Amino acid sequence: MLVSSSTASGSRSRIKLGMWLLLAPLCLWLLLLIILPHIELLSFSLSDPDEGGLTLSFYGEFFNEPLYWRTFLRTAIMSILATALTLVIAFPVAFFIAKMIKGRSKGILFAMCLIPFWVSELVRTFGWMILLRESGVISSGLQWLGLADSGVELLYTDATIMLGLVYSAMLFMVVPLVSTLDSLDDSYIEAGYDLGGNNWNIMREIIIPHATPGIVSGCIIVFMLSLGNYLTPVLLGGKDSLWFTEQIYTQFITRFNWEQGSAFGILLLLLSSLIVWLGLKVTGQSFTKTMG
Amino acid sequence: MQTDAIDLACENICKHFSEFTAVDNVSFTIPQGSFFSILGPSGCGKTTLLRMLAGFESPTSGDILIKNKSVLDVPPNKRPINMVFQHLALFPTMNIEQNIGYGLRRQGVAKAEIAERVAAVLKRVGLPDSGKKRVDQLSGGQRQRIALARCLVLNPTLLLLDEPLGALDLKLREQMKIELKQLQKEFGTTFVYITHDQSEALVMSDQIAVMNQGKFEQVGTPHELYYQPKTAFVASFVGDTNRWSGVVKSSVNQEDHQTQYQVTTNDGLTLDCVSQSSDIPVSSNVDVFVRPEAITVSLSAMDNCLENQLECQVENILFDGAKSQIIAIDKQSGGCITAAMPQTADFMGLKAGDAVYLSFSAKQALSFSEKQGEMNASL
Amino acid sequence: MKKLTVLSAAIALSLSVSAQAAEELRLLTWGGYAPQEVVDLFEQETGIKVKVTKSNNEEMISKLKATRGAGFDLAQPSQDRITSAQKAHNIYKPLDLSKIDSSQFIQSMLAATKDQSTLGGDVYAVPHVWGSSGLIVNKADAADIQDYTDLCKPAYAGKVTYRLKRPTLIGFAFAMGEDPFAAYADKDKYQQIMEKVGQKLTDCKANVKAYWSGGDAMLNLMRSGETTAAMAWDAGGWKLNKDNADINFVAPKSGALGWIDTFVLPRKTKNEEAAYKWINFVMQPNIAAMITESAGNFTASKGSDAYVDAKLKAQYQASFSPADIDNIKWYPPVPAGLEKIEGKILDRVKAY
Ligand SMILES: Nc1ncnc2c1ncn2[C@@H]1O[C@H](COP(=O)(O)OP(=O)(O)OP(=O)(O)O)[C@@H](O)[C@H]1O
Ligand SMILES: [Mg+2]
Repeated sequence: MLVSSSTASGSRSRIKLGMWLLLAPLCLWLLLLIILPHIELLSFSLSDPDEGGLTLSFYGEFFNEPLYWRTFLRTAIMSILATALTLVIAFPVAFFIAKMIKGRSKGILFAMCLIPFWVSELVRTFGWMILLRESGVISSGLQWLGLADSGVELLYTDATIMLGLVYSAMLFMVVPLVSTLDSLDDSYIEAGYDLGGNNWNIMREIIIPHATPGIVSGCIIVFMLSLGNYLTPVLLGGKDSLWFTEQIYTQFITRFNWEQGSAFGILLLLLSSLIVWLGLKVTGQSFTKTMG
Repeated sequence: MQTDAIDLACENICKHFSEFTAVDNVSFTIPQGSFFSILGPSGCGKTTLLRMLAGFESPTSGDILIKNKSVLDVPPNKRPINMVFQHLALFPTMNIEQNIGYGLRRQGVAKAEIAERVAAVLKRVGLPDSGKKRVDQLSGGQRQRIALARCLVLNPTLLLLDEPLGALDLKLREQMKIELKQLQKEFGTTFVYITHDQSEALVMSDQIAVMNQGKFEQVGTPHELYYQPKTAFVASFVGDTNRWSGVVKSSVNQEDHQTQYQVTTNDGLTLDCVSQSSDIPVSSNVDVFVRPEAITVSLSAMDNCLENQLECQVENILFDGAKSQIIAIDKQSGGCITAAMPQTADFMGLKAGDAVYLSFSAKQALSFSEKQGEMNASL
Repeated sequence: MKKLTVLSAAIALSLSVSAQAAEELRLLTWGGYAPQEVVDLFEQETGIKVKVTKSNNEEMISKLKATRGAGFDLAQPSQDRITSAQKAHNIYKPLDLSKIDSSQFIQSMLAATKDQSTLGGDVYAVPHVWGSSGLIVNKADAADIQDYTDLCKPAYAGKVTYRLKRPTLIGFAFAMGEDPFAAYADKDKYQQIMEKVGQKLTDCKANVKAYWSGGDAMLNLMRSGETTAAMAWDAGGWKLNKDNADINFVAPKSGALGWIDTFVLPRKTKNEEAAYKWINFVMQPNIAAMITESAGNFTASKGSDAYVDAKLKAQYQASFSPADIDNIKWYPPVPAGLEKIEGKILDRVKAY
């Protein structure tokens, strides 16, 4: 009895060791690439460059200077809007891919959603600029068709930013949606019709509740991507379009104000997490449910 | 309870999937309040037929009438038909109450009435307290009953069930068979029940249609199908049976309008048998079917009146209580025969290697000309 | 035994060869300052490979600040970004002037740069490329734009582009009759000037089509005719002038803003020798002319004018009269802390 129990605990500890060995690279990765930089950021944001010691003044600056929190608010609202828009556009696309077509064309359509990601974000954004600028393809097309008598400027507006954001985030919404919709057996939808449901309430009561985990995770990804986007708002945005990441970049690079930049970085992390958390609360979802 | 009113009539329904014919010219009627089963092997077109009734597929040709009105132009959500799906399709995002109330909500029934009717139907299926449970908190059999309740609460004219017991284990299936029949009687709803399990069909049905390769082979009561199969397929598909292929040697007309044939089987036996059809020509190929329970087993040769007697040796005994069977080898041909084990003391000590005599009357040996036999060559 | 010595000799040889092959100069510079042909010629002559990283002032300093002066062997920030950055971040290393062939430089420019980049008795920089920022104007549409503030004339609504960066603030301040350079030492005064400029820029917003951030974006805007005037570098104007004679660089009435990009050693430079070799190599008149060709700006190399393309010289003369040259406002070293003031003003301009 004694012997067997001791060997059992021995093998258990061996298993534990093995598990730790397996987890080690992951932990190392988390530590080196995620946790350490954030600790560094945090310590920067709290340190006083002139007198040494700790200070909260860089955080205070965010709340005291309307410019900064307004920029954040603007960025957050635009990102939420972009997320909603992406969802509205991606849902029918995902539904079509997952439910309406079968076999090979499904794969082809899915791959088409991937095409924009074969080129870098910069090239993609320049592509939009070539299309939308006053002397660009669409403008000249309109003139050629006689629909406009002088050049039409389609760039440098919030709508253009929205377009760019939605375009580059599309895939990240479509993929989780397709995978959850794929897992919805057709018989549920048919049962809905069979029990007297019409398109609208089958969508509302059967399909959307089933797809909720996909919707939520897609929305979180798209929101975070939009919030953290830099190139799209800077290159496509108009004269009034300040984006929060641009603010962080400026603090770090042109102002050499690393402390302020770090504080903004930490604030971006905290506030965006807060928004995601609020979003989950409001829609009655939990993070573990969505990811699990 | 059964009246002459016809709930459902199908007239010459065909369904083609491009080249492939899934349902081939099927016609039948189902009287109100009856339990109608469609029995057939996998892939014979049962689900396809049922989906046409529910409205998820439209027939290539033919007509479907409910209470004498064609429903071909009626979409599934407007047909007075409900369906219990092969895997039940209970909505996992709703609790039991919401699941059952779904159809009522669609009809715009008042909230209070919904609650009342849901509670009533839950009571009737014997799960009065599970309204607030989630689907995954129920056992397989309970889910089964909820799926039924979800349909029955709508008082459909017709309830379609697509192998609803397929996912359950054997014991539960036996139990649910009886419960289903009970519920059907209580509610008085017309059931159309699909299965490939002949025992389910035999136990529950008022009428059974045996389906094979898109066609109905025979429609009748369980008793008719079992004792008077019209085709070789039905004979072999419904119930266990022994089967010989052979050639007709001679035929004699009997006084009771049946024709008795003498058949030489391919492995050299000579059997006396009867057939429903009187015009099988001599020297044509036939299949002969004899049910195990129609065979009399004796330990010594009997000089009784049974036309066929074979001297055999016990090869094996399949013990299954009252349903035990003897597998015996015929001494003359070396062929294998299955017979029901008599439940008398004489046979308690029977073991492999013992000599037995198997005999059956000509009336118990049904023969079908090969033309019909070809169809189930694939079986 | 003999075999062994041969072997070890071979190993030593191969090691030394590989060590030599690995010698490289990591250069942190601006686009156009190290054209491929010059890099190739340098490698031919010295065997040293040059790894070029293109950047701008802010990024150069940020990069060096992040690594505390490591990662590069030679950098080229502007003259006004040397002493202040050195004081604040200690990222540079003093030059050993004896290793630089000073006879190749235009003496007045060399003296000025040395003077402005001296800290604690050490000299940190020598001049390389110089140029100015001012106006690029399409004369066909906007002949009357002569100063920065003219960009805000109602006639040019939606047809103007400039950067939201410090040169714009400084340029507008001069055009509005202020002297921001004189106010460098007086933060309050400077703040006041900047507030005024910020207001002007906010009012001027309706005229701006887009704030450009990359030089190519600005060139595209002007070339396509989407804008008729810009505040930008002289070299950009001359580049555009080659394709469209109507467009040219105009030295503003209140003075073009002059800058000198220099050579400095990052504090943790690994290959100082190669850095000096590069400086002496590119300051040769014929090589300097090649750089002028590719960067569009003139260098501090004495006599390189003789090798420069006549067209560029003509463009230069068209843009700058002798009076304009005298009127160039050279950037003095930026004291620390100004960026903060300017940054907030710029943010506000963009936000409202
Ligand atoms: N959409 C379709 N396209 C093409 N062929 C189909 C389609 N649906 C069914 N079939 C074919 O029709 C035949 C009948 O299918 P059906 O689903 O009705 O069989 P079943 O009798 O319900 O079988 P099972 O007992 O296995 O459920 C099968 O051979 C099947 O391959
Ligand atoms: Mg089926």
